[in-house]
Amino acid sequence: MLETTLCGITLKNPVIAASGTFGFGAEYGQLFDVGRLGGICTKGLTLHPREGNLGLRVWETPAGMMNSVGLQNPGIPGFLERELPRMRTLGTVVIANVGGGDLEEYVEGVRLLSNAEGVDIVELNISCPNVHEGGMAFGINSDVAAGVVAAVRRVCSKPLMVKLSPNAEDIVAMAIACEQAGADAVSLVNSFKALAVDIHTRKPVFDNVTAGLSGPCIKPIALRMVWEVAHAVHIPVVGIGGITTWEDALEFIMAGATAVQVGTATFVKPTTMLDIVDGLDRYCATEHLTSLATVRHIL
Amino acid sequence: MTTPSPVFATIPVLSHEQLTSDVWRLTVDTPAAGAPGQFYLVRAWGHDPLLSRPLSIHDVGPGMVSFLYQVRGKGTELLTHLAPGDTLTVTGPLGHGFRTEDLHGNVAIVTGGIGIAPALYLVRSLPGCHVTIVAGFRHEVYGLSEFRLLGTDVLVATEDGCQGAEGLCTDIFDPTAFDTVLACGPTPMMARVADLCARAGVPCQVSLEAHMACGVGACLVCPCATVLGNKRVCADGPVFDAAEVIWHA
Repeated sequence: MLETTLCGITLKNPVIAASGTFGFGAEYGQLFDVGRLGGICTKGLTLHPREGNLGLRVWETPAGMMNSVGLQNPGIPGFLERELPRMRTLGTVVIANVGGGDLEEYVEGVRLLSNAEGVDIVELNISCPNVHEGGMAFGINSDVAAGVVAAVRRVCSKPLMVKLSPNAEDIVAMAIACEQAGADAVSLVNSFKALAVDIHTRKPVFDNVTAGLSGPCIKPIALRMVWEVAHAVHIPVVGIGGITTWEDALEFIMAGATAVQVGTATFVKPTTMLDIVDGLDRYCATEHLTSLATVRHIL
Repeated sequence: MTTPSPVFATIPVLSHEQLTSDVWRLTVDTPAAGAPGQFYLVRAWGHDPLLSRPLSIHDVGPGMVSFLYQVRGKGTELLTHLAPGDTLTVTGPLGHGFRTEDLHGNVAIVTGGIGIAPALYLVRSLPGCHVTIVAGFRHEVYGLSEFRLLGTDVLVATEDGCQGAEGLCTDIFDPTAFDTVLACGPTPMMARVADLCARAGVPCQVSLEAHMACGVGACLVCPCATVLGNKRVCADGPVFDAAEVIWHA
């Protein structure tokens, strides 16, 4: 009942682990069967390894958290060599999330991932709020975003999903620009650029000053953005933002999402995504639905 | 030391005692214990605070594990309301604890404040060693009574001199008397212990503290700078060789 097609790839259900919250899958594999998930997005990858940001990297807010990890990752060659072989054995769809500092890094990174056996979908990250050069810089202005999407499209033979930032000047225009530049899907939203101040030191909590806000507190805004974008584009939309329960996931699906990604809620309860899968399954049974298509995009 | 696979479970509180104005001992019913220096993520609340709290294993017994914790903020304050029979949600045991297999001879366990928490289970896991605890506290002293029964030497320092020597644990700690040093406490204290041990050529393991989110090595919010690059406090640690840690002064 929950089987979902995303860019021609079959997911056993529409629940995907969000990038940056689930490592390369095996970390949570010690706590539950991650093969039950619809897919797993890797930690954000860049062509070259990155050590990430200095200083504190996490801060809590009521019903949310801010992070400033800064794309720490082993580099795409390191991922292909050390992480992908194990990820392919987890029994779920592998979505490689890729960021970049400049256009050349994006293109070369996507080229490597596109040629790699075992990567099912490439998720282009133009929305990381935590790196100074690149990342979100490509996700604010629609024309800049269209440029990077068009450039990687030329080297990407895999389905290309573009992960959008809620910090974009106009997220609907951004989504349309990505579609026109060749994206097969868009996923939204990444974390919101946010600020926390340490009143004792009278300084920002984070060395980077701002950080990315995620968690249940962003859900209604993310949902509104997904709903707006789903009405404006013809490619699949993957909903992300504070999803914690199966009811949350269903809201995004009714607002037009083909699938959803869950991130921060996994920190609250490691098996959150399994609860969401089970909840959606029960919902379909109770409502006598043969698939979620009946209720998708009905708003 | 065999390390059981971590579990995610909601389990009952067996007992909960207040030891000082802000230090509590919480004992819970759990099927999986763990090794000394490993930790559990615990929570007993909804979405505020959002994240669970990492608590290091204080002691284990048949079907039970206990934690010694200090009230630091909203999460630990909420924990104090738990009564026997209430439930809390745990994920664990997590991380890599102290490497105790090859230890022999004279072992020092140097602790600052609530860093005393893992010392009891650690001492129980070193039956072939002569262990000396060097424990520093700000004012109130806690968590030491069991060591007398175990025949462990205990040296105490308090910052206000109300018990033991006046000063810091590092003021009364001489690494040259030991074959191995194990440390747990505030970062400046452990940096000092690591430095003293390095100068004396004594191997030292340190248990680091960090703000965590996932606890399993997936989210990378708890980095520790090491000579081999960033490692994860939750999954690669929390116990590290002191010599590999890059201490930021």
